[in-house]
Amino acid sequence: MIHSVDTILALVLLSVLFSFGSSRLPTLIKVLAFQGIIVSVVPLFFGHEMTTGSIVFTLATMLIRGIIIPFSIYLVIKKVAIRREVEPVVSYHASLLAGLILIVAATFVSPKFNLPQTGDHILLLPTAISLLVAGMFLLMARRNAIAMVLGYIMMENGIYLVGTSFSVRVHHIVEFGILLDVLAGVMIMAVILQNIKQTFDDVDTALLRTLKE
Amino acid sequence: MVEFIFLAPLVTGIIAFFLPRPSGRPLLVLTGAVHLLASVLLWIYRPEAILPDYFAVTPEGLLSLMVISLLFFLISIYSTAYLKQAGIRGEHVFIGSMLLFLSTMTMVTLSDHIMVMWIAIEATTLASAPLIYTHRSAASIEATWKYVLICSVGIALALLGSVLIALSMDIGGVDVPMSFSALADSARRLDPLWLKTAFVFILVGYGTKMGLAPMHTWLPDAHSEAPSPASALLSGVLLNCAYLGIFKTNKIMHAAGLGDFSGAILIVFGLASILAAATFIVKQTEYKRLLAYSSIENMGIIAFGTGIGGMGVYGAVICLIHHSLIKSSLFLTSGNILLGYGSRMIDSTGKLAKRMPRTFVAFFGGFAGISGFPPFGIFIGEVFIIMAAFRAGHYLSVSIFMISLCVIFGGFSNHAMKVAFSSSASGKAIEERSAMVWPQYALLLTSLVLCFWMPATLKQTIIHAVTTMGGGF
Repeated sequence: MIHSVDTILALVLLSVLFSFGSSRLPTLIKVLAFQGIIVSVVPLFFGHEMTTGSIVFTLATMLIRGIIIPFSIYLVIKKVAIRREVEPVVSYHASLLAGLILIVAATFVSPKFNLPQTGDHILLLPTAISLLVAGMFLLMARRNAIAMVLGYIMMENGIYLVGTSFSVRVHHIVEFGILLDVLAGVMIMAVILQNIKQTFDDVDTALLRTLKE
Repeated sequence: MVEFIFLAPLVTGIIAFFLPRPSGRPLLVLTGAVHLLASVLLWIYRPEAILPDYFAVTPEGLLSLMVISLLFFLISIYSTAYLKQAGIRGEHVFIGSMLLFLSTMTMVTLSDHIMVMWIAIEATTLASAPLIYTHRSAASIEATWKYVLICSVGIALALLGSVLIALSMDIGGVDVPMSFSALADSARRLDPLWLKTAFVFILVGYGTKMGLAPMHTWLPDAHSEAPSPASALLSGVLLNCAYLGIFKTNKIMHAAGLGDFSGAILIVFGLASILAAATFIVKQTEYKRLLAYSSIENMGIIAFGTGIGGMGVYGAVICLIHHSLIKSSLFLTSGNILLGYGSRMIDSTGKLAKRMPRTFVAFFGGFAGISGFPPFGIFIGEVFIIMAAFRAGHYLSVSIFMISLCVIFGGFSNHAMKVAFSSSASGKAIEERSAMVWPQYALLLTSLVLCFWMPATLKQTIIHAVTTMGGGF
């Protein structure tokens, strides 16, 4: 039986592949916004009780992960990037192949964990693992500093997916604290990005190589 | 009123962002004094928190809090003189961030909930980022970028680890609050496989922040680019806060009977850090980076001692306290040298003993303390760790440990002699402000006094903190 949550998670998996193949930053940001929205609505599909608190929290998560964070990064791009390429270390074709292998491996490995909580949501764990590893991949395989921040956000999305699906015991106030930390972190990274651009006239991290040993 | 102690600097920190230039300095010292007073009261009365699910006064937290409070007060006095002489742009941002940094670090020491701990540690990264960028140079932006990105990604892994602890609770059918103390009580029922996985992620995550090799790459850059009072805080107390996260998780591991597993990983990371520090200290050319690598070494020693267990944990806590006191004094002293000579290179300094005699005393005292001369605290801690390692039969790792310490001692003393006695272009005396010397003396003196006379309550608290890990004697 295929659950509706698996359908939208399949879209997230496709978006991972799409992000590996895309060369332009604005596209990458749209992918991230899409992932942010999907990831924040996933908890609604689990049979937990719907309280006002949980609905308000879901809306807040969606607002921050799906709209505020991507939009603030988009503003940075408008301000700083002349070239909007992501400057890959690993070529797009190789990245795509790596993405495919990653998704297959994640799907293959997931049932071995034997987690009772995931129940029949067969794509939940593979998606979470894929998002985590894909985020790290973007961090390492792209030289553009903005693409690295996007990789960090993708990783955070993956962790959020693991967190909301497996643990119901953490109070919303604590989760909100985590969300605020992520938001503040991205904001600070955005400020640093603007300063990097002002100082080096580019956001290519190959320029950030003076400090050594 | 446990929460007051981190809310007070939060409020004054926000106020400081809007204050005009010179009026922030007294606020910094005043907050430091109030914080120190509150910490002492907390130590004596040990009250209950208003939100007992999230915050609690634990022995290891109290130790860190006391160190933070004392250090911050002395550093704030130093900072007022430093700011007068260095004249940095955006002083209100510097002072505001210092206070927010104090607030977040205090929150780390008092948090008992796994997730709140994570929130607080990530918040320390965010609050300290503006401090590293104070000088607004190309090198400082690079250091800030590395710091924020590497630490955020690292700490994200610690978040994953914390989530996995929740998973091990679900599988084990444990229904208690996610606090360290409650989990340590019911640790036996947690799912061991997921608890182990969680520990690895948490160790890598907080280890990044603590400066354990090979995740240490941000540390030398951040410590050398930050202004000296901020470097002193980063090295003296921020690293302790990250260690506290590992320490508390390790307590759960010991309570679950998985102490051998966590110990082995801690030993590997500890030795890797000591070896990395030994490689880089020998051929170092800048004295602030030298001190930063020495911090990596000390964090390695502490992780190693914690991994050995038993008496080693006691030694690690002793090292932790003395490292904070001595290393922060050394970083403050490096600020004097930087202002006096105007260069970060070891080669550009020289004749410190003649040109800045009072700074020289602080520098040499700190050097003697940090490199483990008897009778200083680091020496005592290291002896405990080595004895515990021999008793536990870790012969190979303890021999690597001792050889690396010798190499580091040789490299460090070579550089220290250069700074103190080698020839310098001019022999003219450099002006030294009193307020920029005696905070270091006070720190070193505290460390020295603690070697000979440790108050009973302090000793009790340390032993209480380490007993669950088989600490004590």
